[in-house]
Amino acid sequence: MTWSSYLPLWPLSPSPALWLALSLVVAVLVGEALVRYARMPRIVGYTGTGLLLGPGGLNLIPQLPDAGWRLVVDLALGILLFELGSRVNLRWLKANPWIAATSLLEASATFVAVFCLLSWFGVPSIAAVVVATIMIATSPAIAVRTVTEARAQGQVTDRLLLMAALNCIYAVVFHKLAVALMYGEAGMGLIHSILPPLYLISGSALLAWLFGITFERIHHHVGRHEETFSFILFGMIAFATIMAATLKLSPILVLLAAGLITRYQRRRTRTFPPHFGSAGAVLVVLMFIANGLAADLGGLRSGLGLVLALIGVRLVTKGLAVLMLGHYSGIGLRQATALGIALAPMSSVALLLTLDTNALFPAFASGMGLILMSCIVILEFAGPILVQKALRFAGETPEDKV
Amino acid sequence: MSLTPFAPSRPLSIGVELELQLLGCNDYNLVSSAPDMLRRIAKFPHPGEVKPEMTRSMIEINTSVQHEYSALVRELRALRDVVSDAGRFLNVAVSGGGTHPFQHWSEQKIYDAPRFNYLSELYGYLAKQFTIFGQHVHVGCTGPDEALHLMHMLSRYIPHFIALSASSPFVQGHDTGFASARLNSVFSFPLSGRAPFLLRWSDFEQFFGKMTGTGVVESMKDFYWDIRPKPEFGTIEIRVCDTPLTIEVAAAIACYIQAMARYIMVELCIAPEEDDYLVYTFNRFQACRFGLDGIFIDPRTHERRSIRDDIAGMLGRIAGHAAELGSTEAMERIREMLVAGNGAHWLRQAYAREHNLGDVMQLQADLWMGS
Repeated sequence: MTWSSYLPLWPLSPSPALWLALSLVVAVLVGEALVRYARMPRIVGYTGTGLLLGPGGLNLIPQLPDAGWRLVVDLALGILLFELGSRVNLRWLKANPWIAATSLLEASATFVAVFCLLSWFGVPSIAAVVVATIMIATSPAIAVRTVTEARAQGQVTDRLLLMAALNCIYAVVFHKLAVALMYGEAGMGLIHSILPPLYLISGSALLAWLFGITFERIHHHVGRHEETFSFILFGMIAFATIMAATLKLSPILVLLAAGLITRYQRRRTRTFPPHFGSAGAVLVVLMFIANGLAADLGGLRSGLGLVLALIGVRLVTKGLAVLMLGHYSGIGLRQATALGIALAPMSSVALLLTLDTNALFPAFASGMGLILMSCIVILEFAGPILVQKALRFAGETPEDKV
Repeated sequence: MSLTPFAPSRPLSIGVELELQLLGCNDYNLVSSAPDMLRRIAKFPHPGEVKPEMTRSMIEINTSVQHEYSALVRELRALRDVVSDAGRFLNVAVSGGGTHPFQHWSEQKIYDAPRFNYLSELYGYLAKQFTIFGQHVHVGCTGPDEALHLMHMLSRYIPHFIALSASSPFVQGHDTGFASARLNSVFSFPLSGRAPFLLRWSDFEQFFGKMTGTGVVESMKDFYWDIRPKPEFGTIEIRVCDTPLTIEVAAAIACYIQAMARYIMVELCIAPEEDDYLVYTFNRFQACRFGLDGIFIDPRTHERRSIRDDIAGMLGRIAGHAAELGSTEAMERIREMLVAGNGAHWLRQAYAREHNLGDVMQLQADLWMGS
């Protein structure tokens, strides 16, 4: 027997998962410290830790295979999207059409403003269209996570969740359309420009509908045991996410629509623990760390001005649109301002859409893709803080609580 | 500060105040939407009044002065509809019931108005625990001495009103075993209970003067009595009722009180006695705890019977007065409740079926909003 048969070899060669585990511990501690000393949302700490330890920062965490991360991000985002969908009451749009009007105005104004800005900067119009669709999105992940953490409730909170869900749908659908246009430009036939969005919408709707029916069936039998049911739900979300990807549908759209449909069909509401229990919550933390790891601020070197202009224009447009119709939709000036600001965050959905575009069009990846990534990184950090401040400003968080 | 002179009012006129719960449509917990609701409601013409209350998750609706059941129900329906429509526009559900079954008092926010801020400062957490929802019924009186007479005579029947309106079995997520747990919150206030046994307004004014002299109270509003005179309106105000689950029940209870007041003023020519109060807290506790099944001890004969039986007997005695007042339909509703049970019974049945207080709350809101 030799030393080496039972003692480890020096230097140690641990599995990359060790660094992942360590980063989870560090990220959660940093998040707690932020809450305690700076009254900031925890997710800023999660993303920040990812950025600091990852390739964009100290480069302590070795590059993990993209596919592994992608699965974590997809699952966590699926959980958050389903959670968002099941908290949004679509019937409200019928009772208060002004909210639908606000959402449509805000989304289309953002698209137009971003497109005009990019054209003015001389960006080719097809790339400008893609960027403009992605910038419609308000991060559902940050919205749900920050609202949950702040225990916010009220008009601004409800509207933020509803409008984030709608923006997510607009962004995914129109992004598909824009990408199809890009293909058209690259010399594909007309049929290949029209079919993709059609397949995306009908396929996602069908899968979401099946999810809804299964949900009801299972809930009927085991719904009373909240914990058991959340395990099953968790599995169903994972299944639907992977199924959607396999069928080349959008997991984002499928899970969001599944949430919306189950909420719409159910006569009774159902409350679940946040992120459907601690397994979901761990995935959510990992997702925000992964977002930090993927953060790429390379676009700032080449186009700092454009990045800042994009963020500014998006913020102002969304804010003004909400302010314009706020009075009619039944909220005051203060609440409308808060809502306008709270729509600012960009995160996973925008990131995934950008990565998808990058994978299809390498030219985009090295150009506008970088600019867009920088915008997302900035709004990923500023977003949770803005949402938290806005909800406090609107008086929708508990008074005497960190 | 001296007491406001007793304003004349038309005898046996009635007015109803209902404190309502505002709920979020996702979890059916209380939501601090009173300012949004009031801003929305102000845009539409409606009878009566809609006002803020102590915490931002409650609002109050007040009827104008009414005389009979049909008009009272009509006005309450109009108020309910304007409030419900505002709720639907803002994704806020509205419901009756004396307590919210699972709200946490520390999460309530005090409505920003000088009086509420003062009370919050004075009573501390009691003010937030006061997130409870009651029905107040005003009955018009010809004069101040008549008001005191009616107040002390009606005190005997307080258990009737509690048992009929009781709709607060659940508090902080648990079944308390009480039919009206709401009143337990009221009893923790230092100036709750009953008015002193004074039958002449001049004596009452003297008592009030002495109390303000001690600095304990500033106005009649500081007394949280079960029944108290309201000199500005020329009424007495019965304050023991939980907000019932529907406005129809609220109107029926108001008319039951009205018919009983007529019976006391016109037919029952006996004077109240201080000894009537010997059984007062016992009877009241029985009503809070057991509702219609509670024991009622007659203060004069010391007979024991269930509150349900005592109400049934009363319905027989006041039928003629109710007919005179045009509220026979209201008495029918009361009689139905003796069989079908009160709000607390309905809520416990709903919970036994749904196993989830959030679902119970949703059903409660659907019932109140009439959707």
